[in-house]
Amino acid sequence: MTQLYAAFLVGIPLLWLGARHAESARVRQMLYLAASYLFYLTFGLGSFAVLLASTMFNFWWGSVIRRRPSTWMLWIGILLNVALLSTFKYLPQVAANVAPTLPLASPVAHLALPIGISFWTFQGLSYLFDQFREERLDPTLIEFMLYMGFAPTVLSGPICRLPELLPQFRDTSKATWANVVDGARGIWVGVLMITLARFLGGGFDGHGVNWGFDHAGLRLGAADVWLLLVGYGFQLFFDFAGYSRVVIGIAQLFGIRLPENFRHPYLSTTLAMFWTRWHMSLSFWIRDYLFMPLATLRREAWWRNAMLVFSMIVFGLWHKASFLFLLWGTYQGLLLLAYRLLQQRQRRLGVSISGVAGSFLSWLLTFGLITLGWIMFRARDGSQAMYLLGQAVTPFASQGMTLPANFALFIVGVVAAYFVVAAASRRYAQGGAVLGGFPLGVRYVCYAGIFYFAVFHAADPQSFIYFQF
Amino acid sequence: MRSAGRGVRISVAVVVFAVSLEFWARVDDYLTYDAPFWGRYNSQMLYIRDTLGQRGKPNARYRKWKLNELGFRGPAMRHDRINVLCFGASETFGLYESEGQEYPRLLERKLNERAGRDTFQVVNAAYPGESAFTAVVRVPELIDAIHPRIAIVYPTPADYIWLPYLHPAESPPQSAEAPFDFRMGERLRTFAKGLLPEGIQSRLREQEIRRGAAAFAVMDRLPDENVRQFHDDVAHLVQTLRDRGVLPVVVTHASAFGPTLSEDDRRLLISWRKFYPMLKEDGFLDMERRMNETLRAIATEQGVPLIDAAAQIPATRQNFADFVHFTNRGAEVMAEKLTRGLMPIVQAQLQPSSTPKGAE
Repeated sequence: MTQLYAAFLVGIPLLWLGARHAESARVRQMLYLAASYLFYLTFGLGSFAVLLASTMFNFWWGSVIRRRPSTWMLWIGILLNVALLSTFKYLPQVAANVAPTLPLASPVAHLALPIGISFWTFQGLSYLFDQFREERLDPTLIEFMLYMGFAPTVLSGPICRLPELLPQFRDTSKATWANVVDGARGIWVGVLMITLARFLGGGFDGHGVNWGFDHAGLRLGAADVWLLLVGYGFQLFFDFAGYSRVVIGIAQLFGIRLPENFRHPYLSTTLAMFWTRWHMSLSFWIRDYLFMPLATLRREAWWRNAMLVFSMIVFGLWHKASFLFLLWGTYQGLLLLAYRLLQQRQRRLGVSISGVAGSFLSWLLTFGLITLGWIMFRARDGSQAMYLLGQAVTPFASQGMTLPANFALFIVGVVAAYFVVAAASRRYAQGGAVLGGFPLGVRYVCYAGIFYFAVFHAADPQSFIYFQF
Repeated sequence: MRSAGRGVRISVAVVVFAVSLEFWARVDDYLTYDAPFWGRYNSQMLYIRDTLGQRGKPNARYRKWKLNELGFRGPAMRHDRINVLCFGASETFGLYESEGQEYPRLLERKLNERAGRDTFQVVNAAYPGESAFTAVVRVPELIDAIHPRIAIVYPTPADYIWLPYLHPAESPPQSAEAPFDFRMGERLRTFAKGLLPEGIQSRLREQEIRRGAAAFAVMDRLPDENVRQFHDDVAHLVQTLRDRGVLPVVVTHASAFGPTLSEDDRRLLISWRKFYPMLKEDGFLDMERRMNETLRAIATEQGVPLIDAAAQIPATRQNFADFVHFTNRGAEVMAEKLTRGLMPIVQAQLQPSSTPKGAE
């Protein structure tokens, strides 16, 4: 927590002033890089060494591919990146659970996961893909190091692409006060969302979503399970979308625009729409660098469908190499496939469901299916997932609720408030503008609240859900 | 004139901001812990005083700490279980562990897991500041209320650094309670301290220790008299329990300090000394060693089981949140060691002839 606050309270203003007075884009890049590496070093020398090694390799291999683009060169780059990711992310689990008696199993099982490796490895891979596609990228080493280790994105994304960032790194214009105001608005809104996520997780009186999932032996009815799943879906959304908004806001302070990661995903009326609005930087990465290249290898429909499911399986396993994430990815893939087939059938038959009722039903189905999927994302193990699923789909098997009534009311209130705010105004991302409509005194009370919850609830890095991935 | 107006506006803004922070702190306490929005809210809400001294207040609650109907940390009492009573101080009460993760709770779970059914109930009769000297006077009423079969005795040696502190009348005077408790004050202080580098924090602690030590004759090591007093009080507690038909199990005192000290350990020792400025840092290590020898000797003298937690719990920062208090993981390790040590003893309690006294 201290690192984050030190970065916020001391590092960011100093860096902003330094960047403002930097004579050239190159000096500014050096400043950003030094600050980014200092920040990342606070998470351990080992993590930093892995980041540096990945950066150097991808920079070098990217230049090799640029000079002589060939498929096998690209494959070598892909395999080495996947090998690095697997070594830290998947191998320890294998060593601990599958082959604990093998020599070296113990040290491998205790390999520490460099924070953000899943995010910056995918950035390195997208660079190799872009070089292979001859996108005319010619970053200097400093620029590439900054791209891979840029402080706002290095821990948990958004997963950026070099063509988006490189022109901004090279931009000679300086950050302005308007950038600060825009960035600060994003940070405020992000903090609010993270605070809501913490309350959903911790709940009242210690009875929150985390308690509901982690408390062994809790007897839950169908209403409890659905409430927990909806609560978790919103906890996850507020946590990660809030975090993303904060880092996008921080980058914006310096005049750098990062890609959006969430856009009202729970307002989606179809599954396909949901996946263009949820963790967008990863889903677009999967679409552009995995699904599209694989799907275009063959013309048959079955191949395209299989690659759709396969891509979503990779999406699931990107989070964690576990059976539940494999199931979650498969479930999402099959849902998308079913949606695609249904769409084709509707088109052939010339049938369409339109109007408010149709949209509502479509939204309800999408929301319900996505929510049901969180069982696999959050359950402690397979047996808990089976139990929750069993309870969720048999609403009349049990009566009454185990979860405290005030917690249930809180979830319902948060969800309702979210939908009202998001659907009615779609201005929730403009927190400053919303507050700007209030008298000055009320604004100060709100600022104090945001400051309080940012300091005492929202900023514990250990509790960001996506830091574990 | 214009600058004066500006100054007033800034002052009003600062005041509104500060008052709002206090408001949000109270909203937070209310939402998170069901704390009263108005009125005082501090750890003293957990205790009451009776003729024997301080004890837990029935059904009291402060932040994550909840007491049951008898004033013990933990859930409501069940009357159909075999009871295991835990004596100790803050290490047993639980300071840093998440709710329900203090070692007595985990011990109960583990014992019941091994038993294959809900047979045991572990009653956490400890509270911060409890010593063997003060615990012994509560034994009769505890046994009458709980009917324990076994008592875990995990005394804290630090109470014996300055013997007058054992007597409530001679304890350091509590600062008078302020008429208004500014809840943001402590939070902001902790937050600001956390921002300082560890080296500066240590310097500040050293200064505080120097100021505190000025009132005492600073000791290199604990006088033998203190160790003797510790011995006598623990032995008295053990004997009293035995006389009342309870089997005491003595547990040595685990700490965060291993055989070799790192820089981090040195800083931790300074933090510890802040509470007892009259004893030099190395004196704490010596105290732990001698007090644990004393506990081993008591177990031998009285022929009661001993669980050597000091030797068995690794002295790492994963297990200890500070010098002696457990983390969640440390509490888990402690509970596991106690379970292993207790299993041979409790096997006898599971024999068909044994019926819980509370169920009689």
